[in-house]
Amino acid sequence: MDDPSSDFGRELLARGVSRREFLGFCTSLAVMIGLPRSASAAIAEAIENNPKPTLVWLNFQDCAGNTESFLRASKPTAAEVILDLISIDYHEVIMAAAGHQAEANLRSVVESQSGQYIAVVEGSIPTGAGGAYMTVGGRSALQIANEVCGNALATIAAGTCASFGGIPAASPNPTGALGISDAVPGIKTLINLSACPVNAQNLTATLVYFLTYSKWPPLDHLNRPLFAYGKSIHDNCERRAHYDSGQYVEQWGDEAHRDGQCLYKMGCKGPVSFQNCPNIGWNDNTSWPVACGHGCIGCAEPDFWDKMTPFYEHLPGFPGFGRGSDIDKIGFWGTLGVTGAFAAHTLTHLGKRLVQNGGDKAQEGPPASTPLDEGDEK
Amino acid sequence: MTVPAENVGVQPDVGREQTRDGYERVYVWDLIVRASHWIIMLSIFTLAGTGIYIGDPFLIPSGATNEQFVMGNVKVVHSYAAIVFTLTVAVRIGWMFVGSYYARWREFVPTTARRIRDVFGMLKFYLFLAKKPPLNVGHNPLAGSIYLLVFALYLLMIATGFALYSVSADGYMEMWNFLLPLFGGAQMARWIHHVAMWFILGFFAHHIWSAMLVSKVEGMGLIDSMFSGYKFLPPGWRNRDD
Ligand code: HEM
Ligand code: HEM
Ligand code: SF4
Ligand code: SF4
Repeated sequence: MDDPSSDFGRELLARGVSRREFLGFCTSLAVMIGLPRSASAAIAEAIENNPKPTLVWLNFQDCAGNTESFLRASKPTAAEVILDLISIDYHEVIMAAAGHQAEANLRSVVESQSGQYIAVVEGSIPTGAGGAYMTVGGRSALQIANEVCGNALATIAAGTCASFGGIPAASPNPTGALGISDAVPGIKTLINLSACPVNAQNLTATLVYFLTYSKWPPLDHLNRPLFAYGKSIHDNCERRAHYDSGQYVEQWGDEAHRDGQCLYKMGCKGPVSFQNCPNIGWNDNTSWPVACGHGCIGCAEPDFWDKMTPFYEHLPGFPGFGRGSDIDKIGFWGTLGVTGAFAAHTLTHLGKRLVQNGGDKAQEGPPASTPLDEGDEK
Repeated sequence: MTVPAENVGVQPDVGREQTRDGYERVYVWDLIVRASHWIIMLSIFTLAGTGIYIGDPFLIPSGATNEQFVMGNVKVVHSYAAIVFTLTVAVRIGWMFVGSYYARWREFVPTTARRIRDVFGMLKFYLFLAKKPPLNVGHNPLAGSIYLLVFALYLLMIATGFALYSVSADGYMEMWNFLLPLFGGAQMARWIHHVAMWFILGFFAHHIWSAMLVSKVEGMGLIDSMFSGYKFLPPGWRNRDD
């Protein structure tokens, strides 16, 4: 039964989201965060009644992909309603205000709600050329980040660029791009929701966790919530049985590929990447990369564009032999080379000795006296 | 044979015995040195064999997935060999501080003036600039310093291996995940683990040839000594030893 007496109930009704759907959503959130199912009541209660924080969304060097991920639910879902209820006072991509008016909105949030609003950052911060690579209203991204994140209750880095620099920071990093933690060190509370783009479900879950408990979820050493980044892709992958059995795709479209076997040999980075994609999926859990037959590219890891490439190779190769060069082949020939070199060296030494000793002459009988080693007389 | 009193100095406490032709049979490598050397070698062969398969699984079984466990088994063997390897390396490194004279860390770090001189003496020999290698009872100082690097490679393999293990570990082995950021993430740890293996195998290729060469020119039974523990030292070695 929808309760049209509360704002929230009216909102759900207007969107055509049933109460049952909403409670189901709360339960799935509870499970996803790693709480018992019973916590869903507390979550539902908090979503309905707790005051919603103000949120400002900063876009820096980015492709707006995280905004897309965040807004593009295929149908109006409970998640979307919640995100709509959080008052987003500044978001360059979706706000109606423009120009000086928009900047005034941002300034008023920072000044009037200092220490109370949540800053969501999308995109990396260019620090090269004194910050000239990106300015908004005459101020550099670094200045804006310092001011807005510095005064926020908490900062959420949405996506890998804001978390770790991402693609703009990939070698040779022409703009000196940095993630928030490096660009604005000493932020009080920073939560990195890396991934390219951020999974809207993880963003929602993080916000709901805060709404419910007035604190942030436990984080890993990269400031990422453990509920979303605590396990490797590989350990939750539905193709894992094929990995353990040793049955791998060896070419796109081969029989193993059509059978849905493991993508390890096609360069899948699932074993070295951490996120909950296999569990929560993407696009309302329609699918996720490995389920579509493509390996994980490790998009949520720091420097993934430099470290996880070539995406279709197991390892990056050996420096000087090209990206994706075969380390085993190089190692094998290198070892053979060392063998050859030292064999030749040894044989030369022994050959020289043989010649100097005038041929291979074994002793005729036991030595009569003990010869002193030359150079050791004293 | 008499040795001038001023040259005797403090002799290590090792068993020695005169042979008929004036050579002295000296017990250089105690059991722990020898056993650890060969156990480490065998575990490295096992680890490298299974590791190469893990990096590039070239055998692909046919048949139902639930009846196959090839990669799983290979990883089990790798893990058990890793335990043997790690414990043996740990014992050997501990032995560097409490073991017998020629097992000690001074054999690996050239500290005395003579051992530093002998590093260059040995290099000269390798470069055909000297006819004979300098005489040493324990490791020659150049080899010793190289073994130091080899032990560093062992530790690197262990650290990256444990870091990789921690990715999927449940329970106390998870504690090693603090190592992952030190290596720049799991993918870098995997790369280092893989490349360092080839450095160890490259060392091995050099090691056996050099062991044969030095064994032959020194004439002290070097290779045998790694099995029996005894070296045969020509008369006068006391003058050279420290
Ligand atoms: C000299 C010793 C060792 C050698 C030569 C060796 C070799 C290798 C190689 C070549 C790989 C494949 C790497 C790749 O391309 O993905 C590997 C994987 C692995 N090694 Fe070792 N290893 C050694 C010692 C250890 C030790 C001491 C451990 C400790 C637990 C260990 C744990 C692992 C683990 C967990 C993996 C699996 C990585 C994955 O799941 O992708 N290794 N090893
Ligand atoms: C993976 C293979 C091997 C590795 C990593 C390895 C490594 C080492 C290390 C670290 C030492 C120093 C030992 C200590 O004091 O604890 C050593 C000594 C020695 N190894 Fe090996 N070894 C390998 C295989 C072999 C083989 C196959 C032989 C036989 C030809 C051999 C013969 C010797 C000898 C004769 C010594 C004493 C050398 C000296 O005093 O300089 N090793 N080896
Ligand atoms: S497809 Fe990738 S993540 Fe899945 S089991 Fe294979 S290697 Fe692991
Ligand atoms: S499967 Fe891997 S590459 Fe794909 S979204 Fe998840 S973490 Fe990123």
